[in-house]
Amino acid sequence: MSRGSLGRDGGSALTLMPAGLLIVLVLASIAVDMSLVHLRKRQAFELAAAAANDAATAAVDQARLRTTHDYVLDPERARAVVADVVAASELAPELAGPPVVTVSGAGVRVEVALDADYIFADVVPGAPDGTEVTASASATAAAGAAASAVP
Amino acid sequence: MIRRHGGDRGQVGGVEVLPFGLLVFVVGTLLVANVWAVVDAKLAVDAAAREAARHFVEADVPAADDFDDASAGARRAGYEALAAHGREEARSSVELTGLESPTGQAGFTRCARATFTASYDVPVLRLPWIGGFGSGLDVTSRHSELIDPYRDGVPGSAEACS
Repeated sequence: MSRGSLGRDGGSALTLMPAGLLIVLVLASIAVDMSLVHLRKRQAFELAAAAANDAATAAVDQARLRTTHDYVLDPERARAVVADVVAASELAPELAGPPVVTVSGAGVRVEVALDADYIFADVVPGAPDGTEVTASASATAAAGAAASAVP
Repeated sequence: MIRRHGGDRGQVGGVEVLPFGLLVFVVGTLLVANVWAVVDAKLAVDAAAREAARHFVEADVPAADDFDDASAGARRAGYEALAAHGREEARSSVELTGLESPTGQAGFTRCARATFTASYDVPVLRLPWIGGFGSGLDVTSRHSELIDPYRDGVPGSAEACS
Protein backbone atom coordinates (compact mmCIF):
# COMPACT_ATOMS: atom_id res chain seq x y z
CA MET A 1 0.00 0.00 0.00
CA SER A 2 1.52 3.26 -1.09
CA ARG A 3 1.27 6.02 1.44
CA GLY A 4 1.41 8.60 -1.31
CA SER A 5 -1.50 7.22 -3.31
CA LEU A 6 -4.00 6.22 -0.60
CA GLY A 7 -2.98 8.30 2.40
CA ARG A 8 -3.66 7.45 6.02
CA ASP A 9 -6.89 5.69 6.98
CA GLY A 10 -7.17 6.69 10.64
CA GLY A 11 -9.91 9.31 10.18
CA SER A 12 -11.84 7.51 7.46
CA ALA A 13 -13.01 4.92 9.95
CA LEU A 14 -15.14 7.63 11.52
CA THR A 15 -17.33 7.76 8.42
CA LEU A 16 -18.53 4.28 9.26
CA MET A 17 -19.95 5.43 12.58
CA PRO A 18 -23.11 7.18 11.29
CA ALA A 19 -23.77 4.27 8.98
CA GLY A 20 -23.35 1.86 11.88
CA LEU A 21 -25.61 3.90 14.11
CA LEU A 22 -28.25 4.11 11.40
CA ILE A 23 -28.15 0.35 11.01
CA VAL A 24 -28.66 -0.03 14.76
CA LEU A 25 -31.58 2.40 14.68
CA VAL A 26 -33.17 0.67 11.70
CA LEU A 27 -32.94 -2.67 13.50
CA ALA A 28 -34.44 -1.09 16.62
CA SER A 29 -37.26 0.34 14.49
CA ILE A 30 -37.99 -3.09 13.06
CA ALA A 31 -38.04 -4.48 16.60
CA VAL A 32 -40.55 -1.81 17.68
CA ASP A 33 -42.78 -2.49 14.67
CA MET A 34 -42.71 -6.20 15.42
CA SER A 35 -43.58 -5.50 19.06
CA LEU A 36 -46.58 -3.50 17.82
CA VAL A 37 -47.74 -6.55 15.89
CA HIS A 38 -47.25 -8.61 19.05
CA LEU A 39 -49.27 -6.06 21.03
CA ARG A 40 -52.12 -6.21 18.51
CA LYS A 41 -52.00 -10.00 18.61
CA ARG A 42 -52.38 -9.97 22.37
CA GLN A 43 -55.18 -7.43 22.18
CA ALA A 44 -56.95 -9.52 19.56
CA PHE A 45 -56.73 -12.57 21.78
CA GLU A 46 -57.94 -10.69 24.86
CA LEU A 47 -60.88 -9.31 22.88
CA ALA A 48 -61.76 -12.76 21.54
CA ALA A 49 -61.44 -14.29 25.00
CA ALA A 50 -63.61 -11.61 26.63
CA ALA A 51 -66.26 -11.98 23.92
CA ALA A 52 -66.27 -15.77 24.18
CA ASN A 53 -66.35 -15.61 27.97
CA ASP A 54 -69.37 -13.30 27.95
CA ALA A 55 -71.19 -15.23 25.23
CA ALA A 56 -70.73 -18.56 27.03
CA THR A 57 -73.19 -17.47 29.71
CA ALA A 58 -75.13 -14.48 28.39
CA ALA A 59 -76.09 -16.25 25.16
CA VAL A 60 -77.72 -19.26 26.74
CA ASP A 61 -81.14 -20.22 25.44
CA GLN A 62 -83.09 -19.30 28.57
CA ALA A 63 -86.39 -20.79 27.48
CA ARG A 64 -84.79 -24.16 26.82
CA LEU A 65 -82.78 -23.99 30.04
CA ARG A 66 -85.87 -23.34 32.12
CA THR A 67 -88.01 -26.00 30.43
CA THR A 68 -85.60 -28.85 29.71
CA HIS A 69 -82.59 -27.85 31.89
CA ASP A 70 -80.37 -28.18 28.81
CA TYR A 71 -77.59 -25.63 28.75
CA VAL A 72 -77.43 -24.74 25.06
CA LEU A 73 -76.30 -21.49 23.52
CA ASP A 74 -78.47 -19.57 21.09
CA PRO A 75 -76.30 -18.77 18.02
CA GLU A 76 -78.12 -15.51 17.24
CA ARG A 77 -77.86 -14.38 20.83
CA ALA A 78 -74.18 -15.36 20.88
CA ARG A 79 -73.49 -13.21 17.82
CA ALA A 80 -75.33 -10.30 19.41
CA VAL A 81 -73.33 -10.62 22.64
CA VAL A 82 -70.05 -10.80 20.76
CA ALA A 83 -71.05 -7.79 18.66
CA ASP A 84 -71.81 -5.85 21.86
CA VAL A 85 -68.44 -6.77 23.37
CA VAL A 86 -66.58 -5.77 20.22
CA ALA A 87 -68.52 -2.52 19.89
CA ALA A 88 -67.75 -1.62 23.50
CA SER A 89 -64.06 -2.25 22.98
CA GLU A 90 -61.58 0.47 22.07
CA LEU A 91 -60.35 -1.88 19.35
CA ALA A 92 -63.57 -1.61 17.33
CA PRO A 93 -62.04 0.84 14.79
CA GLU A 94 -59.12 -1.55 14.25
CA LEU A 95 -61.24 -4.53 13.23
CA ALA A 96 -60.26 -6.00 9.87
CA GLY A 97 -63.67 -7.63 9.58
CA PRO A 98 -66.64 -8.77 11.62
CA PRO A 99 -65.86 -11.38 14.29
CA VAL A 100 -66.59 -14.99 13.38
CA VAL A 101 -68.76 -16.72 15.98
CA THR A 102 -69.18 -20.48 15.97
CA VAL A 103 -71.57 -22.09 18.45
CA SER A 104 -71.52 -25.77 19.24
CA GLY A 105 -73.89 -26.84 22.01
CA ALA A 106 -72.69 -25.15 25.19
CA GLY A 107 -69.48 -23.88 23.68
CA VAL A 108 -68.69 -20.84 21.63
CA ARG A 109 -65.65 -19.95 19.56
CA VAL A 110 -64.84 -16.39 18.57
CA GLU A 111 -62.30 -15.36 15.96
CA VAL A 112 -61.20 -11.75 15.68
CA ALA A 113 -59.00 -10.08 13.05
CA LEU A 114 -57.34 -6.74 13.73
CA ASP A 115 -55.28 -4.36 11.63
CA ALA A 116 -51.81 -3.71 12.99
CA ASP A 117 -50.25 -0.55 11.58
CA TYR A 118 -46.49 -0.16 11.46
CA ILE A 119 -44.89 3.06 12.68
CA PHE A 120 -41.44 3.04 11.16
CA ALA A 121 -41.88 0.75 8.15
CA ASP A 122 -44.53 3.17 6.94
CA VAL A 123 -41.84 5.67 5.92
CA VAL A 124 -40.05 3.18 3.67
CA PRO A 125 -41.29 3.41 0.06
CA GLY A 126 -42.79 0.15 -1.09
CA ALA A 127 -42.94 -1.35 2.36
CA PRO A 128 -46.34 -2.48 3.69
CA ASP A 129 -48.17 -0.07 6.00
CA GLY A 130 -49.18 -2.82 8.35
CA THR A 131 -50.41 -6.35 8.66
CA GLU A 132 -53.45 -8.23 9.85
CA VAL A 133 -53.42 -10.35 12.98
CA THR A 134 -56.02 -12.91 13.97
CA ALA A 135 -56.78 -14.57 17.25
CA SER A 136 -59.44 -16.96 18.41
CA ALA A 137 -60.74 -18.12 21.74
CA SER A 138 -63.37 -20.57 22.81
CA ALA A 139 -65.34 -20.81 26.03
CA THR A 140 -67.69 -23.28 27.63
CA ALA A 141 -69.71 -22.73 30.76
CA ALA A 142 -69.03 -25.34 33.41
CA ALA A 143 -71.33 -26.07 36.32
CA GLY A 144 -70.03 -24.69 39.59
CA ALA A 145 -67.21 -22.78 37.95
CA ALA A 146 -66.75 -19.65 35.95
CA ALA A 147 -66.60 -19.93 32.20
CA SER A 148 -63.06 -20.36 31.00
CA ALA A 149 -61.63 -19.15 27.74
CA VAL A 150 -58.86 -21.04 26.03
CA PRO A 151 -56.86 -20.04 22.97
CA MET B 1 3.25 20.04 14.23
CA ILE B 2 2.57 18.38 10.94
CA ARG B 3 4.67 15.43 11.89
CA ARG B 4 2.90 15.01 15.20
CA HIS B 5 -0.69 15.13 13.82
CA GLY B 6 -0.17 13.87 10.32
CA GLY B 7 -2.30 14.87 7.36
CA ASP B 8 -5.91 15.99 7.65
CA ARG B 9 -7.33 14.12 4.70
CA GLY B 10 -8.91 11.42 6.82
CA GLN B 11 -10.22 13.90 9.34
CA VAL B 12 -11.88 15.96 6.64
CA GLY B 13 -13.78 12.83 5.71
CA GLY B 14 -14.52 11.81 9.28
CA VAL B 15 -14.41 14.31 12.11
CA GLU B 16 -17.19 16.52 10.83
CA VAL B 17 -19.63 13.63 10.77
CA LEU B 18 -19.16 12.97 14.47
CA PRO B 19 -21.72 15.62 15.59
CA PHE B 20 -24.10 14.38 12.91
CA GLY B 21 -23.65 10.79 13.98
CA LEU B 22 -24.08 11.71 17.62
CA LEU B 23 -27.24 13.66 16.81
CA VAL B 24 -28.70 10.80 14.79
CA PHE B 25 -27.85 8.34 17.53
CA VAL B 26 -29.23 10.38 20.44
CA VAL B 27 -32.40 11.53 18.69
CA GLY B 28 -33.00 8.14 17.09
CA THR B 29 -32.44 6.30 20.34
CA LEU B 30 -34.81 8.61 22.22
CA LEU B 31 -37.44 8.19 19.49
CA VAL B 32 -37.24 4.42 19.48
CA ALA B 33 -37.08 4.27 23.29
CA ASN B 34 -40.16 6.47 23.63
CA VAL B 35 -42.15 4.45 21.11
CA TRP B 36 -41.15 1.27 22.88
CA ALA B 37 -42.10 2.83 26.24
CA VAL B 38 -45.58 3.55 24.86
CA VAL B 39 -45.94 0.00 23.53
CA ASP B 40 -44.75 -1.43 26.85
CA ALA B 41 -47.11 0.85 28.80
CA LYS B 42 -49.98 -0.20 26.54
CA LEU B 43 -49.33 -3.83 27.42
CA ALA B 44 -49.39 -2.88 31.11
CA VAL B 45 -52.60 -0.83 31.03
CA ASP B 46 -54.30 -3.51 28.91
CA ALA B 47 -53.53 -6.02 31.65
CA ALA B 48 -54.60 -3.60 34.40
CA ALA B 49 -57.97 -2.83 32.82
CA ARG B 50 -58.59 -6.51 32.14
CA GLU B 51 -57.69 -7.60 35.68
CA ALA B 52 -59.80 -4.85 37.23
CA ALA B 53 -62.86 -5.71 35.12
CA ARG B 54 -62.43 -9.42 35.79
CA HIS B 55 -62.07 -8.83 39.54
CA PHE B 56 -65.13 -6.59 39.60
CA VAL B 57 -67.55 -8.91 37.79
CA GLU B 58 -66.52 -11.81 40.06
CA ALA B 59 -67.03 -9.83 43.28
CA ASP B 60 -69.80 -10.41 45.79
CA VAL B 61 -71.91 -7.37 46.53
CA PRO B 62 -74.62 -6.93 49.18
CA ALA B 63 -76.93 -4.87 46.94
CA ALA B 64 -77.12 -3.62 43.37
CA ASP B 65 -76.25 -0.07 44.40
CA ASP B 66 -73.63 -1.02 46.97
CA PHE B 67 -70.57 -1.92 44.92
CA ASP B 68 -67.99 0.47 46.39
CA ASP B 69 -66.01 -2.33 47.99
CA ALA B 70 -66.08 -4.34 44.76
CA SER B 71 -64.92 -1.29 42.83
CA ALA B 72 -62.11 -0.60 45.31
CA GLY B 73 -60.97 -4.23 45.16
CA ALA B 74 -61.04 -4.17 41.38
CA ARG B 75 -59.00 -0.97 41.27
CA ARG B 76 -56.50 -2.54 43.67
CA ALA B 77 -56.24 -5.56 41.34
CA GLY B 78 -55.59 -3.18 38.45
CA TYR B 79 -52.84 -1.36 40.34
CA GLU B 80 -51.26 -4.67 41.29
CA ALA B 81 -51.23 -5.66 37.62
CA LEU B 82 -49.48 -2.38 36.80
CA ALA B 83 -46.99 -2.93 39.62
CA ALA B 84 -46.29 -6.41 38.26
CA HIS B 85 -45.30 -4.72 35.00
CA GLY B 86 -42.94 -2.43 36.91
CA ARG B 87 -45.17 0.65 36.69
CA GLU B 88 -45.43 3.43 39.28
CA GLU B 89 -48.82 3.82 40.91
CA ALA B 90 -48.32 7.59 41.13
CA ARG B 91 -48.37 7.84 37.33
CA SER B 92 -51.33 5.54 36.80
CA SER B 93 -55.05 5.41 37.34
CA VAL B 94 -57.58 2.60 37.23
CA GLU B 95 -61.23 3.65 37.32
CA LEU B 96 -64.66 2.13 36.90
CA THR B 97 -65.96 4.17 33.96
CA GLY B 98 -69.15 2.33 33.16
CA LEU B 99 -71.65 0.02 34.80
CA GLU B 100 -74.86 -0.32 32.90
CA SER B 101 -77.51 -3.01 32.89
CA PRO B 102 -79.34 -4.15 29.73
CA THR B 103 -82.24 -1.92 30.80
CA GLY B 104 -79.96 1.11 30.92
CA GLN B 105 -79.78 1.41 34.69
CA ALA B 106 -76.55 1.79 36.61
CA GLY B 107 -75.99 -0.93 39.17
CA PHE B 108 -74.38 -4.26 39.92
CA THR B 109 -77.00 -6.46 38.32
CA ARG B 110 -76.95 -9.56 36.17
CA CYS B 111 -75.76 -8.93 32.59
CA ALA B 112 -74.66 -5.40 33.46
CA ARG B 113 -71.59 -4.35 31.51
CA ALA B 114 -68.74 -3.14 33.72
CA THR B 115 -66.09 -1.06 32.01
CA PHE B 116 -62.74 -0.22 33.55
CA THR B 117 -60.30 2.29 32.15
CA ALA B 118 -56.63 2.18 33.05
CA SER B 119 -54.20 4.90 32.09
CA TYR B 120 -50.50 5.53 32.58
CA ASP B 121 -48.52 8.70 32.12
CA VAL B 122 -45.43 7.66 30.17
CA PRO B 123 -42.44 9.87 31.04
CA VAL B 124 -40.61 11.68 28.26
CA LEU B 125 -37.24 10.35 29.36
CA ARG B 126 -36.65 7.31 31.49
CA LEU B 127 -33.18 6.50 32.77
CA PRO B 128 -32.07 3.28 34.42
CA TRP B 129 -31.80 3.51 38.25
CA ILE B 130 -32.84 7.17 38.17
CA GLY B 131 -36.42 7.03 36.94
CA GLY B 132 -38.55 9.00 34.52
CA PHE B 133 -38.67 12.70 33.79
CA GLY B 134 -41.40 14.84 32.33
CA SER B 135 -44.97 14.17 31.40
CA GLY B 136 -45.17 12.49 28.03
CA LEU B 137 -48.02 10.54 26.55
CA ASP B 138 -51.06 9.34 28.44
CA VAL B 139 -51.55 5.70 27.45
CA THR B 140 -55.08 4.45 28.08
CA SER B 141 -56.83 1.12 27.79
CA ARG B 142 -60.45 0.15 28.30
CA HIS B 143 -61.87 -3.27 29.01
CA SER B 144 -65.43 -4.33 29.69
CA GLU B 145 -67.04 -7.54 30.87
CA LEU B 146 -70.54 -8.71 31.58
CA ILE B 147 -71.56 -9.66 35.09
CA ASP B 148 -72.39 -13.34 34.82
CA PRO B 149 -76.18 -13.73 34.53
CA TYR B 150 -76.27 -17.09 36.33
CA ARG B 151 -73.70 -16.84 39.08
CA ASP B 152 -74.72 -16.62 42.74
CA GLY B 153 -74.19 -13.58 44.91
CA VAL B 154 -75.67 -11.14 42.41
CA PRO B 155 -78.92 -9.29 43.12
CA GLY B 156 -81.75 -9.53 40.64
CA SER B 157 -83.04 -11.96 38.06
CA ALA B 158 -81.43 -13.17 34.86
CA GLU B 159 -84.66 -12.84 32.91
CA ALA B 160 -83.75 -9.32 31.86
CA CYS B 161 -80.67 -10.66 30.10
CA SER B 162 -82.53 -12.29 27.25
